[in-house]
Amino acid sequence: MIEAGELAAIQAAHPRVFRRTAAERGRLALAWACFGGVLALGLWRVLPTWDAFVAGLAKLGFLVGFMIPPAHGGHLGQMLHGLGETLAMAFLGTLFAAVVAVPLGFLGARNVLPVRPLHFGLRRLFDGLRGIDSLIWAIVFVAAVGMGPFAGILALAVPDAGTLAKLFAEAIENIEKRQVEGIEAAGANGLERARFGILPQVLPVMLSHVLYFFESNTRSASILGVVGAGGIGLQLAERIRLDDWQEVAFIILLILVTVAVIDFLSGWLRRRVIAS
Amino acid sequence: MVAAGGSDAFALFEARYRQLQREKALTTGCGVVLFAVAFVASAVVGEVDPARLMTGVPSILDYAYRTLPEISARQPLADIAEWFWGIDIWLMLMLDSVLIGFVGTLAGAGAAVALCFHASANLTPNRLSFWLARRGFEFARTVPELVFALIFVFAFGPGPFAGVLAIAIHSAGALGKLFAEVNENVDPRPIEALAAAGAGWSETMRFAVLPQVLPNFLSYSLLRFEINVRAASVLGIVGAGGIGEELYLVVRRFLYSDISAIVLLILITVSLIDIVCERLRHGLIEAGPARATR
Amino acid sequence: MLELIGLTRRFGAVTAVEHVSLSVPNGQMVGIIGRSGAGKSTMLRLINRLIDPTAGRIVFEGRDISLLKGRALRDWRTDCAMIFQQFNLVQRLDVLTNVLMGRLNHRPTLSSLFKMFSAEERALAIRTLERFDLAGAALQRADTLSGGQQQRVAIARALMQKPRIILADEPIASLDPRNGKVVMDALRTINREDGLTVLCNLHTLDIARHYCDRIVGMRAGRVVFDGVPAQLTASMVRDIYGMSEEELDHAETVTSTAVGAVGSPLAA
Repeated sequence: MIEAGELAAIQAAHPRVFRRTAAERGRLALAWACFGGVLALGLWRVLPTWDAFVAGLAKLGFLVGFMIPPAHGGHLGQMLHGLGETLAMAFLGTLFAAVVAVPLGFLGARNVLPVRPLHFGLRRLFDGLRGIDSLIWAIVFVAAVGMGPFAGILALAVPDAGTLAKLFAEAIENIEKRQVEGIEAAGANGLERARFGILPQVLPVMLSHVLYFFESNTRSASILGVVGAGGIGLQLAERIRLDDWQEVAFIILLILVTVAVIDFLSGWLRRRVIAS
Repeated sequence: MVAAGGSDAFALFEARYRQLQREKALTTGCGVVLFAVAFVASAVVGEVDPARLMTGVPSILDYAYRTLPEISARQPLADIAEWFWGIDIWLMLMLDSVLIGFVGTLAGAGAAVALCFHASANLTPNRLSFWLARRGFEFARTVPELVFALIFVFAFGPGPFAGVLAIAIHSAGALGKLFAEVNENVDPRPIEALAAAGAGWSETMRFAVLPQVLPNFLSYSLLRFEINVRAASVLGIVGAGGIGEELYLVVRRFLYSDISAIVLLILITVSLIDIVCERLRHGLIEAGPARATR
Repeated sequence: MLELIGLTRRFGAVTAVEHVSLSVPNGQMVGIIGRSGAGKSTMLRLINRLIDPTAGRIVFEGRDISLLKGRALRDWRTDCAMIFQQFNLVQRLDVLTNVLMGRLNHRPTLSSLFKMFSAEERALAIRTLERFDLAGAALQRADTLSGGQQQRVAIARALMQKPRIILADEPIASLDPRNGKVVMDALRTINREDGLTVLCNLHTLDIARHYCDRIVGMRAGRVVFDGVPAQLTASMVRDIYGMSEEELDHAETVTSTAVGAVGSPLAA
């Protein structure tokens, strides 16, 4: 293709085409070393021994085999009750979060309450609430108010109230000013201003967010039962402990179907809310 | 004549208007009734009643109060040290959680990259692999991580490996869907050029598609890493390694000040990782990878 | 010798290319002219097999290539390199890598996927770029170059394939006249020096007359003119375009776009 002499000449004329400069090579080596180091540390901490891995894989194979065919084993009523509980938790958890988040969102919006320290403090509170996973809230609430769906509802509502309040506050900060000025010009007080000037503008956005959270909470609520906070998760964890894999598979399928149905319904509602 | 026509038109308008109002009222009414039914049903099934709320709220406040550490003005540092008495163990466990998130994200992203080209309608080599990849991603992201974790803990025994697997599978599903969406918006012209030059399918993906989508892939993976560190810090609750196990333990033993210390540690770690990842993501979006071949 | 025998392509009810028969001896530079939508683009894509013919055959050196599949099809595509109106470079990659893309079908896939190109291949790429005064830009990203430079990079990529035929689909339609001339000169250079057959869709008659040995005129998917530039009389132009050359200069309708260039290029 190319003789040696010409190759050498081209290499001499365009050295960087054939080899990186020392500085580039150094940077690249450093980047790979950092990445490799973290990865090696990670693998060292998480990887099981080879024997444990093979044994686990074999066990996993058996489990999947035992799952077929999925069966409810005569516990369909109990499972459906758990599923109902899951949906109830998702519904009420989202509802409570939304109810609390509306006033919090108004207070946290810069254009509603132009008090910097208050605004800053509220925003940090929202961040704190949503920084903690609902499962952590669940174990705390189970300890505080006892086992059952009530703890689950609270566990969903608390972090969501933080996230929704933040989203609501952002939506309120992005509204059109002229409509609010119109209401003010008509002599409205602060509360009336919020109700008639701001709320109509942000309500569709808020509703859409709330519906989206309902979808995601249906997924979350299906596992809170693992720590005793109600719903289908408790039965799932029990079946796994009892080695009842056909029923485990059945419950997983139930969860999948429920989540798909809720996604579909909520997606349909969200499109309607945004369209109107 | 004109007057009669006018009143006819007016009557017609009135009738239409009233019908529309009726329809609207009907929809609203149905909505309200449905909502009320759902609310009552949920309250019954969810065992929520005003009495429960009344007793619940004080007990929560009491619980929250108990978790507050005792920090005196006289020797605040010593008190904080006392509050975080287990910091060396907890930091190690927190590091484990972060590493579980890291390895899990990496493995999940790798699987997602490998399969996402099959799951894109514009790139897939055949309908069967498209269908399989799509359904696989859907399954992997719809089953909650914790369910995977429960099963893997049962199979592989307690420990971080189960957590890594659970996070990897769930991430592969979530990222795979996003990656496929990114793929479906690529510029088709380089793909055509490479196909016209006789390049094979994998080479076309590597050189015509990957350079276009890589910044987005990295950005989504970083976002996923943030989410996964949160997830990894709770997976320990079912025995899948990391700080979650310790947290569950201290909650069940009512070691109140330990609860607040560990929760605070998780909060700080998660926030730090969020901040670092956000920086990286902004850098990615601005620069994009300009890799030379050498 | 490239022969098209009764080549036909229909998209639904629309016939883009209808019963085209042509034979092109090796080393000829052929300009294909016609209104936009006349089927010029579809014909080039049919020859490269980016789209499959509905009827008819494509024969090269006595070998029927209209039914090739898999490996053999990719080899054929490597033999007839394509140049596009929009250059179709990978914008985010550097010029060198874009040029090396032309080697993909000549080398093991696995080492390609890790971008392990040999020193010899890199030198070849540089030597090809040098022919078009672009060796200095080898490590720049493709999107930092001007349109004319990008099209020359695309020609370099085509040459790296070691092709027998170059199919150029409106190579200068997106360029200003000066850059258009540079690119056409480059195409003529490779036609004369490397002895490659060039089939080139053009929308400017002047350019076609100036650069091509032979001109093929298409209208509504059919070949309506086939001869040397001198034979392209005013009445012939009117026949091809449905208007005179003066009107043509003013009309914008002749700027060709790839009509019906759909279908999956990945279905190899």
